[in-house]
Amino acid sequence: MSITDLTSMGEPQAALRNEINDRLCKLQDEISDYCFQCAKCTSGCEAHKLLELEPHKMVALLKRGLIDEMVNSDIIWTCMSCFKCRERCPQKVAPVDVLFALKNMAVASGKQIPGNYTAMLQSVLSIGLLQDIKSVPTSENKSKNRLELGLPEISKPVDPTKFQMMLSKIAVEKV
Amino acid sequence: MKKYALYPGCVMPTEQYAYEMSIRETLPLLDIELVDLKGFSCCGEPIKSINQMLTLTLSARNLAIAEKEGLDVFTPCPMCHLALSDAKQILDSDPKMFDRVNKFLEDEGLKYTGSASIVHTLDLLHDIVGIDTIKEKAKKPLKDLKVATHYGCHLIRPSECGRPDDSENPQKMEKILEAIGAKPLYYPEKLDCCGGLLTANLPESALTKTGQKLQKVQEQGFDAFVDVCPWCHRQYDSKQTKAGETVAAKLEVPVFYLSQLLGLSFGISKDRLGFDLNLSPVDKINLGGKKNEQ
Repeated sequence: MSITDLTSMGEPQAALRNEINDRLCKLQDEISDYCFQCAKCTSGCEAHKLLELEPHKMVALLKRGLIDEMVNSDIIWTCMSCFKCRERCPQKVAPVDVLFALKNMAVASGKQIPGNYTAMLQSVLSIGLLQDIKSVPTSENKSKNRLELGLPEISKPVDPTKFQMMLSKIAVEKV
Repeated sequence: MKKYALYPGCVMPTEQYAYEMSIRETLPLLDIELVDLKGFSCCGEPIKSINQMLTLTLSARNLAIAEKEGLDVFTPCPMCHLALSDAKQILDSDPKMFDRVNKFLEDEGLKYTGSASIVHTLDLLHDIVGIDTIKEKAKKPLKDLKVATHYGCHLIRPSECGRPDDSENPQKMEKILEAIGAKPLYYPEKLDCCGGLLTANLPESALTKTGQKLQKVQEQGFDAFVDVCPWCHRQYDSKQTKAGETVAAKLEVPVFYLSQLLGLSFGISKDRLGFDLNLSPVDKINLGGKKNEQ
């Protein structure tokens, strides 16, 4: 079981892609129709000023079926998932969920996963957590870890093999 | 005494030790018993961009571990709280998804049933312990400390998933801080995001978001900045100097976890609350008590 199985970076995985595609179609049919382009989402978007993400335009592109274009764009990876767009939409459209589906689609199509996501996923697969225990600096420039601070042993999957087996099922599941 | 399974998540137990220490010190004084369970994993929320099914299954798995012991779940991390609450809402309303996820969990001998409720530090303190109890325990109130509160996006949105406080005007942290003598004040940037989730792929932009908010807080003359999220705290406290560089400002804002200030007002010593792990200039303000006082 490896990261390739779970993200389909090796060979594109038909079942996984079909499922995400269904999700996008559903969003396209049911949600993007409600959007009347008031741009309230974009006016409050945390990634708008800094990184030029425009959620209302993403919804408009989805409505026109330009899914591949968005999947291939880096802009979908600028969302900080603050959920303001979903919270404030007067029509209950959730651009943040459109972006999650698009990013999932990019990964399932074998696009390169940006930045540290690969390392994070790899760590979850091997030890069950995003990262391993770190030693942290104190204000007096000493270094301390959990045990030195009197904290109990960390909780993580007891049987890593079984845990990985469970995750691998998600990767190969036929929908 | 109310009992909870402590679901620590990833960031708090691997590096944000001050949060964990201060929680383990303060909550027992409020008649909350925390039970450590073996076998927890990541909640999946930080890798939701990779595969949402993975997030849902990981969250259900962690809930199932607590359910097996018949315990409700207390998670100090807003991101975990959202992932678990979201999973609970989906699985409790969608029988097909319920069966599908439980099939994944079979291998580890787990079953999600939906019996556990989920709380975060904020609603645990405000709704379950109660403001009156906190007020009673605060033997050493903080004297008129002017504080800016930061809730963290995942803690208050999306409200459809049932969040611990209001999405546009959260006030529970303010009430808790007032109960221990501090003076929380409104500021226009209160709901701004820390940018922490961008650390994975756009670390510079993440720091810029952090720096922009802290700069405004500093300009408005606050004594301290208080948060309840290990991701946000990592940005505002641990990376404050770097965040300042991105906005060309020298930032010197003391940043605390709510549980640290709570513990201090209960008379717990600073070293037991992990004060020497705060990298922001927390010694700038006089909170009483020597730094290494036992």
